[in-house]
Amino acid sequence: MKRYDLIVVGAGPAGLSAAIEAAKLKMNVIVFDENEKPGGQLFKQIHKFFGSKEHKAKIRGFKIGQDLLKEAEELGVTVCLNAVVSGMYMDKELTVKINNQIHHVKGDSIIIATGAAENMVTFEGWTLPGVIGAGAAQTMMNLHGIRPGQKVFMLGTGNVGLVVSYQLLQAGCEVVALADAAPRIGGYGVHASKVARCGVPFYTSHTIVKAEGDTQVTGVTIAEIDNKFQFIPGTEKHFDADTICIAVGLSPMSQLLKMAGCQMEDNPKRGGQVPIVDACGQTSIEGIFAAGDVEGIEEASSAMIGGRICGIAAAHFLGYMDDAAFEQQYEIHQQALSGLRQGMFAPENRGKILTKTEENIDISANLLEKGYLDDSEIEKYPGVTHTIGVHPVIECSQNIPCNPCQNACPKHCIKIGEKITSLPAVDETAQCIGCGMCVASCSGQAIFLVDEACDETYASVMLPYEFLPLPKAGDTGIALGRDGSPCCEAEVISVKSSPAFDHTHLLTMKVPKQYAMKARFFRKEA
Amino acid sequence: MNVRMEEHPILGNFSKGRKVNFTYDGKTLSGYEGEPIAAALKAAGVMVHRYTQKQHKPRGIFCAIGRCTDCVMVVDGQPNIRTCVTPLREGMCVQTQYGVSTKPDKTSEKGSD
Amino acid sequence: MNSINDRSINIGEYIPAPDDDMLICRCEEITKGEIRRAVHDGMFTLTEIRRYLRTGMGLCQGQTCSKLVKSIVARELQVSPDKLEPATSRAPMRPIEMCILANERKEEA
Repeated sequence: MKRYDLIVVGAGPAGLSAAIEAAKLKMNVIVFDENEKPGGQLFKQIHKFFGSKEHKAKIRGFKIGQDLLKEAEELGVTVCLNAVVSGMYMDKELTVKINNQIHHVKGDSIIIATGAAENMVTFEGWTLPGVIGAGAAQTMMNLHGIRPGQKVFMLGTGNVGLVVSYQLLQAGCEVVALADAAPRIGGYGVHASKVARCGVPFYTSHTIVKAEGDTQVTGVTIAEIDNKFQFIPGTEKHFDADTICIAVGLSPMSQLLKMAGCQMEDNPKRGGQVPIVDACGQTSIEGIFAAGDVEGIEEASSAMIGGRICGIAAAHFLGYMDDAAFEQQYEIHQQALSGLRQGMFAPENRGKILTKTEENIDISANLLEKGYLDDSEIEKYPGVTHTIGVHPVIECSQNIPCNPCQNACPKHCIKIGEKITSLPAVDETAQCIGCGMCVASCSGQAIFLVDEACDETYASVMLPYEFLPLPKAGDTGIALGRDGSPCCEAEVISVKSSPAFDHTHLLTMKVPKQYAMKARFFRKEA
Repeated sequence: MNVRMEEHPILGNFSKGRKVNFTYDGKTLSGYEGEPIAAALKAAGVMVHRYTQKQHKPRGIFCAIGRCTDCVMVVDGQPNIRTCVTPLREGMCVQTQYGVSTKPDKTSEKGSD
Repeated sequence: MNSINDRSINIGEYIPAPDDDMLICRCEEITKGEIRRAVHDGMFTLTEIRRYLRTGMGLCQGQTCSKLVKSIVARELQVSPDKLEPATSRAPMRPIEMCILANERKEEA
């Protein structure tokens, strides 16, 4: 039986981060992962991450994954792939299936970072081919270049449902609608808005009645539900669709921890059955740790920090790190972590209904129900001003931990301040030079550069554009409003691309003046 | 619409292995070496991977990461192969799975019970 | 420990419901009605349900249906799902062919 200082189960963001910290301290560490490739779900995340610089904000998930793998490789971390951990026993012994052989291994410390599994809901026809998990859609399109379907219906408006819907649009699929049984959209408003402005309708308080089709999905019927989750007769709506995506949350895959005898609890705020852990992720069994989604459903950014904390805690437990060094490192990571666990969507606020921002501004009910800010609400937010000449219009209306826009502006037009969750405000005394760095840096694609009167009759609007084919200067088309409905004719003035924008192109269109504060997306005429 | 993406706005081109042939229920199809069998089948328009044992219902890709085991098929004579995580190789023999075998029974041919 | 061990509680009669033929365990093809009836047959714990019906005993080992089964049983027992102890976790966590388990050899340290 082989012995290691540390065995990590799962080579996703949490597991790799943990192994990296341990390897830095010259621990003998191995990572097992059942998949053919390392990285967990990180390589499917093609959107820019939120947070601040220390959380790798505005970097796309798959890029963070590549960096993490490189760091692990440079430190000599052994990642054993196609290795299925089939059991965890007393005294930190694991059985692992590799190449049709069962191996027994023992770790002086163990970090379980097995991630999560997708939740499901049942409805008539839910086993039909064409009904898939949202993760499956992501895997097919972002890893294998396969479109999951032509017409896709999405159930679930948490961040997964919203992000995957946008990615489906990027892949060239049509998203026919999103629905959620809850009366409110669960994910970030900015994620919803970038889907809504493409013309995709949201149906809150709705769920699936049935998936239609004999051998595969040909359509879907949804209906409104009352506050007891019962269908309201007469509210049925039908959509033609060949694919139904389910994004109704994740559950920790914590079975190994339970098998090993770690104390478990059912904690809805953490997504289900989770181990009871201390501040370092240590379970009730000394030397066994849990990191990432298996310890509580959160974002990849927090999973990476949680993994690093577990890594140094395992090192400290085995004497590879003294108390002082551990305390110092722990403090740094813990601060980064608490930076992410703030704002409206913080774990502690799960399930709460907030009506005011930290700035005491009303939270848009329209945004929560339909996915976009109403034209009449937009003026309330500190990122929306009407300076003469080109200026940023920041349609960021919820307190989320994110601040790249503040650092992106070379002229310091954008202020968030010390508190990372504060809504960005535009400093009207600073002069915008129209460079568009803020537009490209906003992970939520919520910043527009607007010149409300570039001449007598027209205004210009610069927006982030991440679709193909890329329009070019001179193209004419339709400007769409925040709700995705056509508002006026538009002509593309310029399309700026740069490695610094990281695949977010800056499209500037010309629209009649009165639409300067309404037009937010461009669709080329067919 | 093409199931395979030619170019992606963020990811650019997908680097694929060499093109290989395999058989699906006796028909020759092609896909790229190393991609999941399920990806090659999806690109060829195949949605039904198997019919279940008891109710003879059609199933296809569901989780696409090897967890749910709904996409299993008979591959090179071996049943219960998760096609979403099994890499495609030249000359593979992929067959629809009925229950746990390649033999359709009468009820499943009708597609319902 | 499981707090639902009192078998004398009255959970009422089994009443058929329109969605009783809804498939819950995709692998073993167990329906909601079968699970509901099992509770009325006296199977109050998830481990009992699993042994009785084979829910979560198929290829995927309950990856998809565990939470669904739990909520159905909880509703039938009129308790909150978090009162129910999840079914026992044991090896193998993933489907492994019997021949691999049978061919296990002792390794050199």
